[in-house]
This record gives sequence, structure tokens and C-alpha cells, in this order.
Amino acid sequence: MPESAIAISTSCILSLEMPYSEQLCIRRTAYRGGDGPRAAIVAGIHGDELEGLYVCQLLADWLEQLARENPAGLAGTVELYPAMNPLGLDTLTRAIPVFDTDLNRNFPGSPNGDLPKRIAHAAIENLSGAALVVDIHASNIYLREIPQVRINTDFADSLVPLARRLNLDLIWLHGAMTVLEATVAHSLNSVGTPCLVVEMGVGMRITPDYCRQVMSGILTLWKDQGVLTPDVELPPLDHLPLIADDSNVHYLNAPTSGLFVPVIEHWTDVRKGQLLGTIVSPLQGGILSEVRSPVDGILFTLREYPLVYEGSLMARVMARKGRLA
Amino acid sequence: MSSRDLVLMTAPLREDFTIPCHEIGPAGNPAVSFVSGLHGDEINGIYILARLADFLTAVAGGNYPKLRLAQRVLIIPAVNVLGTNTLRRAWPFDQSDQNRMFPGNRMGETTQRIAYSVLEATKKSAYRVDLHSSNLYFEELPQVRLYDPTPEERETAPLFGLPAIMERSVSPVFTTTLMYAWKYWPGQSFLLQVGQAGSIQLPHCQQVFRGLVSFLGRIGVLEGVEVAEADQEALYFTRECSVRIYADRAGMFVSDKSLGGWVSKGQELGYIYDSFNGTVRTRVIAPAAGLLTGIRRQPMLFEGDLLVRICTRTP
Repeated sequence: MPESAIAISTSCILSLEMPYSEQLCIRRTAYRGGDGPRAAIVAGIHGDELEGLYVCQLLADWLEQLARENPAGLAGTVELYPAMNPLGLDTLTRAIPVFDTDLNRNFPGSPNGDLPKRIAHAAIENLSGAALVVDIHASNIYLREIPQVRINTDFADSLVPLARRLNLDLIWLHGAMTVLEATVAHSLNSVGTPCLVVEMGVGMRITPDYCRQVMSGILTLWKDQGVLTPDVELPPLDHLPLIADDSNVHYLNAPTSGLFVPVIEHWTDVRKGQLLGTIVSPLQGGILSEVRSPVDGILFTLREYPLVYEGSLMARVMARKGRLA
Repeated sequence: MSSRDLVLMTAPLREDFTIPCHEIGPAGNPAVSFVSGLHGDEINGIYILARLADFLTAVAGGNYPKLRLAQRVLIIPAVNVLGTNTLRRAWPFDQSDQNRMFPGNRMGETTQRIAYSVLEATKKSAYRVDLHSSNLYFEELPQVRLYDPTPEERETAPLFGLPAIMERSVSPVFTTTLMYAWKYWPGQSFLLQVGQAGSIQLPHCQQVFRGLVSFLGRIGVLEGVEVAEADQEALYFTRECSVRIYADRAGMFVSDKSLGGWVSKGQELGYIYDSFNGTVRTRVIAPAAGLLTGIRRQPMLFEGDLLVRICTRTP
């Protein structure tokens, strides 16, 4: 290998026997350049979330090109883990099939437990110590989300400065919710490995614009961290995040069951009282309920799957607080 | 029979749906609340509570002259009604786990609204009991589960007359369960594990049914019950008493053992076969002497799956 070449390798971080003849392998592709810091991208923790897989593909292409044109530009190591829940991706299931458990509620895992625990453990073992981990999620099949970073307030001081550079549209600070302690992000942040959680798009689909947008942010952060050398040319940052927290996010839950039909585009400014959509009755026709914005603000979550039960979330509106970053 | 709708909700394309419950006995706050079917596929609990409702209604109606219901009892046989009707564990519409939605929210998601109503109806009872049935893969000996129990709960647990009482600490993963939400209220809370999800194991159900009737007798809610003091001794197991055997290989696990028996150290409990060529990969051997309290019934194994749990007399 010539000096300053990038070594590219795909390997298994966990290999496990399956019940009938097959072997399950959790795969990672590593791009090794210089001795600089290591960064990682995690995706596919939920089997119905594909946005992160496409971000991995875009980054892999970008790194291949870097390897050809400017191999010295990779000062450190990049690891891509596009499919942490391969059986879920195989079977269009959010959870891990058979075990029927959410992988992102099984961290930090254990080396000797069942499959979810072992995947979680292998992930933490491999990710710990990285300079930066980005865990990419895609909402679910029900809701469409603008590109955003979600940060547990416990880690806000260290993570918000990183999140601002990720080229996303929103930073959402969440109160410390105990149940989320079992996520990969919480486990990593707790041991001092910074991990940002990206939510964007919708389940079982990809939104190419969003994926390219977050890719620019990731490359910028890699350069900030010294994973890429300062001379590497990057796509520009063209998004600045708004900041939301529990005080300015309004949830619109369905007052009745029916078919939700939006009359508004996702990710737009809305006025208090503005009609966002209607809940209609496929059985008898007619409008059962009108959905109106409770505040002046920005529509950042919009229901993608139209059938709603009483209580189903249809939209989230962020009231403007004038806290533009 | 006194039944009412705990929750009334619209459905998009069929009739409005309800979560019905029984309130049996004298007026007032229920002294005891029984809940089951938070997971729609845990049928043992649904069966037991439906039968208990029938029995207590007959008592209240005077069909058992020697028995008298002294205080009110609330029974919700199945919380996840839609899951029960479609044989799903989770709430079918959005796949959420109804037992991860507590304490709930009156204006939140559908399952949060259901959770709120269930908690409101049950939280003030002096005794609260939630029945579960493991999952589709694993069979549990009927047992009382105590989570970070109070001294009073430890004292009450044997009154169910079940063969095992198991103490556990509350993990952060369980803070959104009904059990955890109950613990904020005065009173005592118990979780009963009964058999395996997906079907009815009649002997387990009969044992737990008798246990619930004895329990109601012993706490004075059901007067006139003849409680056999010679009921089997309830064995108390802390987490340290629990010995678990995990699969060292993948394959098919086959065992002819039934739960509730004592096994000796070194005893053969089953085999793991290679599911392609049929060879024996592993003889599963008891690593310690104890009571067989849990066994895997779904044979297809991943490496690392839990096969058997044995509870030893001493940690």
C-alpha cells in the first residue's frame, strides 16, 4: 500500500449462529487513513428506518472518491455501521424479529445474553472511545420529521456545540427520561463518547435531500474533529438549526379516529388557528374534526400514515421563541 | 353482573371500542384491582380473570351461600382489547407496548390514554395485581413477582399460595410499566407470572385461580373461604437464587421436562440439535440442584438464548 493510502475493509463485529444453518453478522466498513481521531456512523437500529442507510452510502461514495483523489485527506478513521439490526431490515420490522424487542432499549447489552444484548454489547465495545458517533434514525412509518438532532438535557453542554455544526434544521432538547437510558446514545454519552442522535424523514422511505443535507454536516464535524484534514473541500453548510425544548413544542393528537388528510406542506411556517388538515370519515363522508395550529410557529412533524386512532399524533408545531441559532 | 366501560374510544373504521371491566361487591373504592391482558397474547391471565369475574359475580348474587364478598373488587381481564382480538402482544395499530405507556396521559397517544384510565381506576386499591404470561417462547411456573418490595408486600406474597415468589429490582427499562406506576401510591402491588403466552396451560390457570380465591379469603375481602393451611410452602427466591442456562449453540432445543419439579445437579434437561443435520450439539445439564421454574418452549434457538431457569434454595 502506498504511503497516505486509505485502507478500506468490511468486517463482522459480531458473528452469531442462527437456528437453522445460517450465520448472522453485524457488518462494519472501516476507512483508515492517518493516526487521527476515529468517527462512526450508526444506522439501521430500527429495521423500518432506512434514511441512515442512504447516508452511509453517500459517505462511502464520498470516502471512495477521497481515497482516489486525496487519500491524505483522511487524517483519522471512519467507521460505517449501516445495519445494526439486519434481521429487522430483512423482514421490514422495527424491532429485532423473533425477540420482538427494540434494539435501542437494550444498551449497553451484555456479551453473554441473547441476540439483542449481544448486538448492543458489540456496538458499545466497538464505538466507545470514538471522537464522535452519529446515530441516524428515520422517525417511524407514521410521522415525517425535518432533519433534527435530539439531545438529552443531561448532555446538552457538550453536545449542542457539535449539533450546531451538523447542518440540520432543529436541535430538540429533551428532558431526562429514564426509559431512554437504554439507548445507544445514552450509553455512549454516559461513558464519555459523544453521540448525536439524528431524526429525519419517515420510516421505510428515503428522503434524498435530507440525506445529502446531513452528509454535509457530518463531513463538517469530521473536519472540525480532525478526522479530515483542513484542506479537504466540503459541500457548504446551508442550514442553521432552531432550538426547541419542552416549553415550545406543541403536540397535536387526534381528538377522534378517522382518516387524517393534511392541507399543508411539511416544514412550513403556520399561524395560530391555521388549518393544518382534517380528520374525515371514509364510512359516512364528511369532516369529523379540523386540525388547527395552536400557535404561531413552525410545523416540524407531520403525519405520513393517514389512518388515526383517537390520540394518534398528527403534527408537532414549534412556537417561535426567537431563539434562532 | 356489574360491568362498565373503563375506556370508550372511537375507531376509524369499525364500531367504537371499549375496555370493559367488572366491579363486583359492595359500593365504594375497589379494595382489590386485578389487571391482565396488557399484552394481547397473554391469554392465561385473561382466562383466569374472566373466570374469577364469573365466580365473584355468582358469590355476589348469592349462589354460594357460605361465601360473602365483603369489599369491592375491580377486574380488567384484557386491557389490550384489540391485541387480544387479533392475537398480538403489542397494541396492533402502532405496535406500541401497552405496558410501556404508564403512567399515561389523558390527552396523549391512544395507548397513553388507555394507560391513564387503567391507572386511575386501579391506583387507589389497597391490593393491585397484574397478571402476565411470559412470552410465546418461554413457560413460567406460576409465581409472584415482587419488584423492590416493601416489607408488607413480602409478607403478603405467600398468601397467593403459589409455588414460588421471586424478588427483582426495578430496572430503568421498566419505569414505564403499570407495576412501577402503582408503586407511587399507598397499597401493595403484585405481578403474577403464569405459564406461556399464546395458549392456555390449564393446570397453571387452575392453580392460580385457586390462589386468587385463597388470597381474597386471606385478606378478608371474600369471607367464608376455607383456606387450607396445608397449602404448599411458598418458596422465596431472590435474584441470586436464580440460575439460568443459556444456549451455547444455536439449533433446536427439545426437552421433556415440566415445570415445578426439583432437579438435581448434573441432571439432563434436554438437547440442542443441529436443525439441519439432526446431530446432538449439546446435552443441557442442570448446573445446580433446584426448582425448575422456567423453560423454553419455542425450540428454534439463537446462540445465547435463555433455555432454563432453576431456582436454588440458597444463593
